[in-house]
Amino acid sequence: MAVNYDDIKIGDPIPSYTTGPITRTHLVRYAGASGDFNPLHHDETFAKMIGLDTVIAHGMLIMAIAGEAITAWVENKYLRKVSVRFLSMTEPVDWNDVENTKNRATITVSGKVVKKYEENGEKRIQCGIVAKDALGSRKLDGFFIVALPR
Amino acid sequence: MADRSKVGMEFPAYTMTVEKNKIAEFAMAVALKEEKEGINPIYYDEASAKKAGYQGITVPPTFMTSFFFWTGEGLPGIVKALGIDLNRLLHSEEEYEFYGSIYAGDTITRKMKVVEMFERGKRDKLGRFVDVTILETEVINQRGELVANVRSTMMER
Repeated sequence: MAVNYDDIKIGDPIPSYTTGPITRTHLVRYAGASGDFNPLHHDETFAKMIGLDTVIAHGMLIMAIAGEAITAWVENKYLRKVSVRFLSMTEPVDWNDVENTKNRATITVSGKVVKKYEENGEKRIQCGIVAKDALGSRKLDGFFIVALPR
Repeated sequence: MADRSKVGMEFPAYTMTVEKNKIAEFAMAVALKEEKEGINPIYYDEASAKKAGYQGITVPPTFMTSFFFWTGEGLPGIVKALGIDLNRLLHSEEEYEFYGSIYAGDTITRKMKVVEMFERGKRDKLGRFVDVTILETEVINQRGELVANVRSTMMER
């Protein structure tokens, strides 16, 4: 699966990456792993108090999923930069209404090559990236830069 | 509302050792997996990591976020120091620039400072602007090498 600089063309898509529906258990697991215990991400009473319908995923979890998408395509060690803007909140799937809530909790990351250039003696590519849920709502967008072997 | 007098403020440098099992836990969390077998072995198996060209077990790209939460007083310490209201806090942007890799067993120091604070956009229904705070952090390993820069943009709704 090695990706080589010379084989890449501007406009090439990166392989898209889709998660299963994000559950509240996933959010708790991420909270414990990252140490981000903002109650917004696990405590329904807090979420409701600040005017939300339910808990929402950590923006950083969505960015991490984008990181998974990137490193599924090029190796982690080639990554030079990742930059994202968080665009909308992600609510987890409700177990008592999976059919109607799974799409809002299913994330697909896609992107394409926008630039090829040399920097610091490396062959680098820049790719635009976007994460959307299965309803088409944009969760984050941004770009990443990787240095590739020829 | 964020306290504008904090622009330029440097937080104390905080240090933590990157623990092997914490990397695997993080890698499973971001892959939405319950078992190590579901993730890339470079995040839990030293031999696999070395075979793939790493010096040791390495970390997923966004692992550095955990340094903010597991050192100092974590998120509560950051919002308290800056006068930010946790009930209105949203993460708006995040950028990582990588200069090197982080490995299990590394001792990492984070040096964070407040680089910008400003109001953005239109007043909301209550007549407030969105308050923006930008933090930049240098991530340095035990050999004094700068392994990454982090730029985090926070918003108060």
